[in-house]
Amino acid sequence: MGRFTDEELQRKVQEGFIVESEEDMTETYKRALITQLTVQGDTELISAPAYFMAARDAPSTNTMVSATAIIQDELGHANIAYRLLEDLGVDRHWLLYEREPAHFKHPYGFDQPLMNWAELVSANALYDRAGITLLGDVHRNTSYGPLKRGLVKVSLEENFHLRHGEVWIRRFAEAGGAAKEAVQRTLDWMFPMGVEWFGMPDDRKHHNAQLDFRLKGMTNDQLRRTWLKAVVPLCEELGYDLPAQYDPGTDEVELTYELPCQYDPEARRWLFNETITWKQVFQRWKARGPMNEQYVDSLRRSRFAVERLLAA
Amino acid sequence: MSGNGQVYEVFARKKRADRFEHVGAVSAPNEQLARVYAWQTYDEAKWFEMTVAPRDAFAAVNRPQAPFTLGGPGGRAPGADSR
Repeated sequence: MGRFTDEELQRKVQEGFIVESEEDMTETYKRALITQLTVQGDTELISAPAYFMAARDAPSTNTMVSATAIIQDELGHANIAYRLLEDLGVDRHWLLYEREPAHFKHPYGFDQPLMNWAELVSANALYDRAGITLLGDVHRNTSYGPLKRGLVKVSLEENFHLRHGEVWIRRFAEAGGAAKEAVQRTLDWMFPMGVEWFGMPDDRKHHNAQLDFRLKGMTNDQLRRTWLKAVVPLCEELGYDLPAQYDPGTDEVELTYELPCQYDPEARRWLFNETITWKQVFQRWKARGPMNEQYVDSLRRSRFAVERLLAA
Repeated sequence: MSGNGQVYEVFARKKRADRFEHVGAVSAPNEQLARVYAWQTYDEAKWFEMTVAPRDAFAAVNRPQAPFTLGGPGGRAPGADSR
């Protein structure tokens, strides 16, 4: 490390320079990249136990197989992110097995229980859409060569997950009645989770190393807007109610509630009238949600159970 | 053994006339498991051919260091700061 100063590297990557080795990096670049990859890997990893919890409600063997294929993909994506982190000197065993569950960096949305098939496919439609929005941007724009290559497989497969979700919420909508209501009830708590997925609004974010070093191309608000413009018109077309409105004239989406607001994880309900500060939201994220420990523990338990079985 | 073993680079091609492409890497305690991990992890295509090679088997030709050697084979010491 140390070939460039931060300013030199920032200028070079904005002009298209691709970082391939540690000697191309600065300490700030490396730290920002490690944070980004940890969020990416943790999100993929924790999606696996979350999806697995819901997949047990799969309505048939075939649908169970699709859900399990998605879970396997997510584990593969986590592996790719952690493998890249290993090359940056981060110990994978520590990442997986030694960190406090509360120190994982996935979004708060994946700290929530996913109870049934309607919730699984809604998560595919909303959260995997968020994943594609974020990682698609990284794929197109990242200055880190190994990550750009690693995301080829990830992008392909996330599109399959998204299609799985969208096809299924359409089927539920067309079925109507209790089926449609099950997805609607899910969207009621899940949609605002997706809105929060993209983090603090731009005017609250003080450091932007990821943008300065071209580890991503779009700001939080631009990414959130991209997601909203994909999710809201589709849900409107399917007849689901969201606290948001799409205006075809301006091609813009507007939320019909005030951001940020409080969430009651026990009641699984947003308190839209209880406006809070972003600082309070940040505290809620940091405190983690109801399934945090259980999800992390389930990944560890299965590994050590096998080791114990083999040692017996 | 650290539990991760060493790093194997993964190469694959979709059909006969294709060039091999570097599709990623896996950490594995031995070659047999490296083959399994590679096949399971990089399953995005129906590969005609896939092969793995230990990272430290690559020899640089025109650059001072072989590729993929960021931070040395297998990454650096465990517990390095990740924050």
